[in-house]
Order: sequence, then structure tokens, then C-alpha cells
Amino acid sequence: MSSIIIQGMAFALPLFIIAIGGIYSERSGITNLALEGFLGFGAFFGAAVVMVMTGGNVGSLEIPMFFVALIFAAIGGALFAMLHALLCIPFKANQVISGVVINILAVALTAFFTSQINTVLLGKPTNKFMLGVCHTFTVPGISKIPVLGAFFTDVYYYIPIIIIIALFMTYLLYRSRFGLRLRACGDNPHAVDAAGADVSKIRFIAVMISGAMSGVGGICFAYSISSTFSPSIYAGYGFLAIAALIFGNWKIGPTLGACLLFGFARSAGYKLAQILGLSSAFSDIIMILPYVLTLLLLVFFSSSNRAPRALGEIYDKGKR
Amino acid sequence: MDEYVVEMRHITKRFPGIVANDDVSISVKKGEIFALLGENGAGKSTLMSMLFGMYEPDEGEILIRGEKVHITSPAHATQLNIGMVHQHFKLVENYTITENIVLGQEPRARILGFLPAVDIKGSDKKISELSKRYGLEVDPRKKIEDINVSTRQRVEILKMLYREAEILIFDEPTAVLTPQEIDFLLDIIRGLRDSGKTIILITHKLEEIKNVADRCAVLCRGKLVGVMDVASTSTKAMANMMVGREVSFTTDKKPANFGKEVLNVEGLTVKNQDGLTVVKNVSFSIKKGEIFAIAGVSGNGQTEVADAISGLLPSSSGKILLDGKDITAMSVRERTLTGISYIPEDRQAVGLVLDFSLSDNLALKKYFKEPFCKKGVLQEEAFDENGKKLIEEYDIRSGQGITTTVRSMSGGNQQKAIIAREIELSSELMIFVQPTRGLDIGAIENIHKQILAQRDEGRAILLISLELDEIIGLADTIGVIYNGEMLNMAPAETLTAIQVGEYMMGVKAV
Repeated sequence: MSSIIIQGMAFALPLFIIAIGGIYSERSGITNLALEGFLGFGAFFGAAVVMVMTGGNVGSLEIPMFFVALIFAAIGGALFAMLHALLCIPFKANQVISGVVINILAVALTAFFTSQINTVLLGKPTNKFMLGVCHTFTVPGISKIPVLGAFFTDVYYYIPIIIIIALFMTYLLYRSRFGLRLRACGDNPHAVDAAGADVSKIRFIAVMISGAMSGVGGICFAYSISSTFSPSIYAGYGFLAIAALIFGNWKIGPTLGACLLFGFARSAGYKLAQILGLSSAFSDIIMILPYVLTLLLLVFFSSSNRAPRALGEIYDKGKR
Repeated sequence: MDEYVVEMRHITKRFPGIVANDDVSISVKKGEIFALLGENGAGKSTLMSMLFGMYEPDEGEILIRGEKVHITSPAHATQLNIGMVHQHFKLVENYTITENIVLGQEPRARILGFLPAVDIKGSDKKISELSKRYGLEVDPRKKIEDINVSTRQRVEILKMLYREAEILIFDEPTAVLTPQEIDFLLDIIRGLRDSGKTIILITHKLEEIKNVADRCAVLCRGKLVGVMDVASTSTKAMANMMVGREVSFTTDKKPANFGKEVLNVEGLTVKNQDGLTVVKNVSFSIKKGEIFAIAGVSGNGQTEVADAISGLLPSSSGKILLDGKDITAMSVRERTLTGISYIPEDRQAVGLVLDFSLSDNLALKKYFKEPFCKKGVLQEEAFDENGKKLIEEYDIRSGQGITTTVRSMSGGNQQKAIIAREIELSSELMIFVQPTRGLDIGAIENIHKQILAQRDEGRAILLISLELDEIIGLADTIGVIYNGEMLNMAPAETLTAIQVGEYMMGVKAV
């Protein structure tokens, strides 16, 4: 039971922060299918900076280097997201196509640069950055409580960090001036324009925020699931985050619920495979569990959900 | 010099294919209600959009309080204390009234003593006070999606007042309101003037101008025709100036010449989407050369009668016979081909495909037939030819001829396009639902003439209208519908407007 909680949280929270990124973009009115690409590029950027700083050998610097990677993953994600923002906002491109293309671009770009950097640093063109695993901590005392204690046992460092970021992002979206205007952009950008705020600027920043949040989530995946940065980072988690935010009705609170559900479904699946003693070839089939769940939930929840009214619409001042 | 708060001098604005404003000059005094009168597409909204910074004039200059300004954006206009209530409201539906009003100028508070946040509670209080001060009561915590049109309009007015606007522009504010709401709004506008605001009112309704305005400028096809004192000018004179020619308020009607029966409706019952019976056992018939008008207060089932005959709504019982053929079970297209033309109430949603070109829209009911379609391939030349012909014949005005996107056309010209298309079908029966809704005098006159011409050609016409004057002026036979039931049917000359009005209110039972 406790391993289900520990592993479930380790997966759910990075997914959650990516979904928050998606919420920012979509509540501002920009459809964002590029989360997958953002999280991959962000993770690549963070990992590459660590590799370059340590000369390819992380060694004993694992903990400080994790924080370096986290910061640069956010920066890298935000920078990469500017591409989506540029295409969708000033150039008025189709937002769905832009998102899909950016995902493909991210896979190609990061694979290429990873092997190039490895050739220079290590002399061999592998497509992986060896990062090590994020360290964990156990809260003394509380962790002894049955069941609930598992939430405080073997906690990855990134979990409290994500919680703090998520709290800040919640405040920013729902209580700040910026958030009020951002959400208005997704409902009726003409109202924002008439109120004297700059719709394009707000949306641009929102898309960059979604890139930064995806980068944070991506690097956390790199440091937990695979302990490397490699093309296996593109496992569809960005799309899972989109599913989570849709189930969450584009609201942060319910989205957390959806992410936890996905996280626990996934870790429970693994546990099940273990108990059944399935070989690794078969345990892979357990990986489909979150996605099957996604399909089922789509059937039941989609009809009651309501997307932001202006989502995906190109903002044209003249149109009434 | 400082007598005028707003001066617009020699303003010219061109759009592709159209000169929207041609050397227009107006000056507005502080504390007056200044009306801009003109037909749809005369350039009133364009002129005011430039004052509000949404467009910049190609030529001419704008002076605010005697100072020359280049107004570059709505935000800039707001700084100059200019506010505008647009025809299409600019509100965030899932926000509260307060949030909508303060958006862009949010009062601040701090959470936990340091995080800056929007002060929603403080704003609610401010908005409450503001709304009481100007007699515009609203509940600041209600969401826009839960309030009605007239309250939404109040929110737009409060938005301007919150931003301390001194010059208030209203763009066709009464177009969406009921008569009672209009009276209330005009009171509010008077109140605002009395508290020292300057008001510019864009409208094409003469009674409103007569009712509230101090002075009035008339625009016609982009040009300023004249500025006059409202008190000393007759409504008729204003109407003539606006249209640019003599307007007849009465329609010339030739004596009726009925032929054989075209439409026969027997015991028609219709349920709406919610399963409520909205038309109850209605029977009537229309002959060739007859205008049968259904009068009634909005929402009493008249639209559903038309929808059931045209096939948009299924009828749950009863029979519809067209020329002796039972069409009750036919699809919309089969009915059209059998001989029904339909001018729907909602011309933008049902009558047109707004983002299609004018020529495509003009062929919407024939595109599948030769010469428009040969062996499954559309013939572009046929569309163009048909479009050009109808534009010419029906005087449909648009920026770029047949390639104009219908969305960009004025309401009057959109309606002309629909009527042109439907008349060209040469159907035995023509159904007009609210054919003049939202149109100006010139366009209304034109459409009334068309309807009468079709009658004189021997078509059967079903006219459904909420305008009693329209019904009295045009109909040969009047039926009054109340609560889904046809209360009374009689030749038009035997009924007075007052009698029809009483039936409409359900006062007289059968």
C-alpha cells in the first residue's frame, strides 16, 4: 500500500505542475497541445546545463545539480514555449497544428543535441544524459502513522517544491490582477481589450508560463522515472496532463484530483503486476492503465465540462 | 472655444470598397444629449469608433476639450474620459458583475500582508455604491451568464462610470431591449445628462431621438446631411433627411385579388425542444394573392408555426397541405422544392452562412441543381452570374460585390440578400418571419414594397410579425395567436389596431 502512495505521488505531482502550465495557456485562450514538447525540451535543457557544468559526470554533486537542472528546465521550457506563442499570437497560426508540430520538433531537436553534447563531453554519441535519481527524505514521526504516513515517507525532494510552486500559481491565477485578466482573455478577449489591457501580451506570457511549468514537470520525470534524460521522456505524459486538466474542467483544484487519480492508477497497476508475478514484458501492458482510465473518464465527464469560451480562437480586434 | 467638449473636423475614413465617413464634422456641447441618426451602414458607428480609438481617421482631426488629440486605442480614449457602450457587449460571461467592471483597473489588497491581489470585497462595495448613486441597481456578485440583456447593458454603463467617463457614447442601445426597458434606459440617459455627463447616442429610431436628444446630426451614406435642434424639427423631416428622399409612412396597397387556396393547415400542434406544447391545434388557410398575418406577443408560438410549416420543427399532430399535397412528413428540402420560400426570424443564424461569400449565400437553395451543379461538380460561373444578377436587381449593397463575406454586410443588406434569394425560388408560398426586425426606415419601406409586390403577383404570403403597425399595414387577413392558440381570424379591414392589441394580450376570449 505505501509503495502505491509513494510512487503515485512521485508521478502525480510532476503531472500536476504540467497540467497547471496547460491551464494557464488554455485559460488565456491558447490551445496547447505542445505540453509534451515543452516538458521534453525543458527537461533536456536542464539536463544539458548540468552535463556541461559537470563535464558529463555528475558524481557527488547530485543534490545541488538537481536544483540547477530544475531552474534551467523551467527557463528552457519557457524559451521553447515562445515558439508556440509566436506562431499562435502574432502570426495567428492554427493552434492545434502549431502544438503538434512543436511536439515533433522537440523530439528531433533534443535527440540531435543530446548526442552532439555527449560526443563532445564523453566522446561517444549516446542519446542519454545520466543524471542519477532525485534524493528523498522521510519526515520523522509523522511517517509512522499507518497509511497516511506513506505520504511522508521516501518523499522526493521535488514534491514539496512542486507544492509550493502550485500554491503560488493558484494564487496568481485566481487572486492576482494578472490572473483576472488572463482568465478574461480566455472568455472574451474583446472585454480585456476594451478594458485597456494587452491581450497579446497576456497570452504570450501565459504560454511561456506553461512552458516553464512543463519544464519543471519534465525534469522531475527525468530524475525519477528514468534517472536519465533520453527520448523515453516522450511517453505521452504531456497529453495525459491535457486530459487531466480537461477532467479538471480547466480549474486547478479538480485537476489535482485527476492527476492523483492517474498517479495512483499507474502505481497500483505496477504493484498489481508485481503481485501477479508478471514478467517485465507483460508488466508493460500495465503502463496502458492510465490511458484506459483516460478513455473511460472521457466518456463520462466530457459532456459536463466547459472549455474557456474563446479557446483556440484567433483574436481579431475587428471581428464582432 | 471650450463650449464644445468633442469636435470632429472633416473626418474621412475609408474601408476596402467603401467610404464609411466622407468629410464629416460634428461638435458636441458639454452636458447635452447629442444623437447621431442614420440608416444602417450610414457610418454612425464608424465615426464613433474613431472617437473611441478603435480606428484612426484617414483624414481630419479630433479635438477633446479644445485640444487636438490622436486617439490611438480604447485605453487612450478611457484616459480622455470617453466611454462607450457597444452594440455587442464586451463582457466576460463567467465573471461576476464586479469583476467585469473593475477589469483593467482593479483595486488592490494584500493577502497575508504581502501578496498583491485583487480586492474583490472592496470592489463589490464600490460597485454597489456606484450603482446606487446613478440609479442603476445591480447585484455586483451575480455572474454575467445569469443576468438578462438589460442588466448586462447596465453593467456596460457602470463600466464607463467606474472609469470616470465624462463623454458617454451609446451605440444603438435600445436595439436589444423591450419597450419598458427602453423607457427605463432613456430615463437613465436623461439622469446621466442631468448629472453633467455629455452623451452621444447612435440610433436609427426617431422616437427615441424625439424623446431624449437635444440636438441631432443626420448621416446618410457616410456624409453629414445636417445638424438640427430636435425640439424644433418634425419626425418626418428627420426621416426624410436620414433616407435622403421622401419617406411614406403609409404603404400603398392595391385591392386584394384572391385565387385558389395554396396553404391549408389543419389542427397543427407543435412541441418545442423541451417537450412543451407551444402550438395548440391551429388551423388556417392562405389563398393566392393573400397576405395572412399572424399577430402576437413574442413567445406565443408564432415562430414555431412558421418553423413547422417550413419543416425546421416536426409537427406532433395535424396536417399541412401545400397546393393540395400533404407535406407534413417531408424534409426541409422537399418542401422548398414543392414551393415554400422562407425568410427566417434569425437571419444570421438560420438565413445565411455568415462567413460565405455573397454569391454562395445567394445560391444556397439552388446550388445542387443545374446550372449550379453539373454531374456533382459546382459551376463557379453560374454562382457568379446568379450573384451579379440578384445584386443588381435587388440593390444589395456590399463592399466587394459577389465576393463580399456576408458577415461584413449591414443587417438591411443581409436581409435584402435573403429576400432576393427566396423570391427567386418563385415559390407558391412565402413565409416572412419578422422581416424588418432591427432594420432602419429605408430598409423597412423597401421590404414592405417587396412583400406587397409578391402578393400582387399572386403568391400566398404568411407574415409573422411582432410589429402591430406592420401587420395592420400589410395584411389582408389577420390571425392572432395567444399562448399557442389562434384566438381570432378576420379580414384585416374589419379589425382595428386596438382590437388586435387586445387579442394579443389575451384579453378577449373567443
